[in-house]
Amino acid sequence: MSRKYELVYVVSPEATDAQVADLHTQVEAIVQRIGGRIEKTENWGRRKLAYEIGRHKEGTYVLEVIEGSGDVMKEIDRRLKVTDLVIRHLVVRIDEEQGVVERMRARRTEVSRRRRVARGLPPDRQPGEGQRGESDDDRDDHFDMGEDLR
Amino acid sequence: MNGRKSFGGGGGGGRGKSSDQKTKDGQRRPMFRRRKVCKFCTDKIDDINYKDVRMLMPFVPERAKVLPRRISGTCAMHQRKLRTAIMRARQLALIPFTTE
Repeated sequence: MSRKYELVYVVSPEATDAQVADLHTQVEAIVQRIGGRIEKTENWGRRKLAYEIGRHKEGTYVLEVIEGSGDVMKEIDRRLKVTDLVIRHLVVRIDEEQGVVERMRARRTEVSRRRRVARGLPPDRQPGEGQRGESDDDRDDHFDMGEDLR
Repeated sequence: MNGRKSFGGGGGGGRGKSSDQKTKDGQRRPMFRRRKVCKFCTDKIDDINYKDVRMLMPFVPERAKVLPRRISGTCAMHQRKLRTAIMRARQLALIPFTTE
C-alpha cells in the first residue's frame, strides 16, 4: 500500500550545512531500507521562527515528499524525535487531500466549459476576456472589523 | 423562551415584525455593509496549504487568533480547512500561537 506523505522538519540554527545534508541522507536511508521513495526535497533555508522553541529563534526548514507505507513514516517520526538537532517536525498524509483537490478542480473546469458551450462560446477562456484578468492579484486582505466584534 | 433575547416588551412571539419601528429607536438600519464572500470560493483556491504563510496571514490578526467566519465571511468548508492549515503552520512555528 503506497501512500504519500509530506515531512517538514526544522533543524537547529547551529547545525552546519553538512549536518543538514547528513540528516537528509539519514531520512533517505530509512526510506530506502523500509521501502519507499523520496519524491521531492526542498530546503527552505533559514527562517525566523514565529515563537521561540527552547532557546532558538531561527531554524532551517527542510521539506520532503515521501511515498511509502505508514511504517516508513513511523520509523522516521521515531528517529526525528530522538534527534536533538531537529527541533520540530511534522508529518502529514497528502495523497487523499490531493485527490480531493484534483477532483474539485476537474469538476469546476468541466462545469465552466459546459456553461460556456451552452452560451455559445468556445469552451476555454480566450485571452483578454472578462473584466478582470485571472493573473492580476489585488489582494483585498482587509476585513471590516469592529461592529461585529462584540 | 429558549433563552432567546426578546426586546420590545409586550407580548411574546412577535419576532421579525418590526418593520415599522426601525427608525424610532436607535437601530442603525440604513448602514451599508458590503456582502461578505468566501475568499477561497471567489479566488478558486482549492488547496489551503499550511506552507503558504502569505495566504494564511490575513486570517490570523494581531493576537494570532483564527479570524472568525462572521468577520472574514469564509464559508464553512473553507474555514475548516483553513483551521487545520493554521494549526499545522503553528506546529512548525510558521505562525505564532499568540503574541504577547
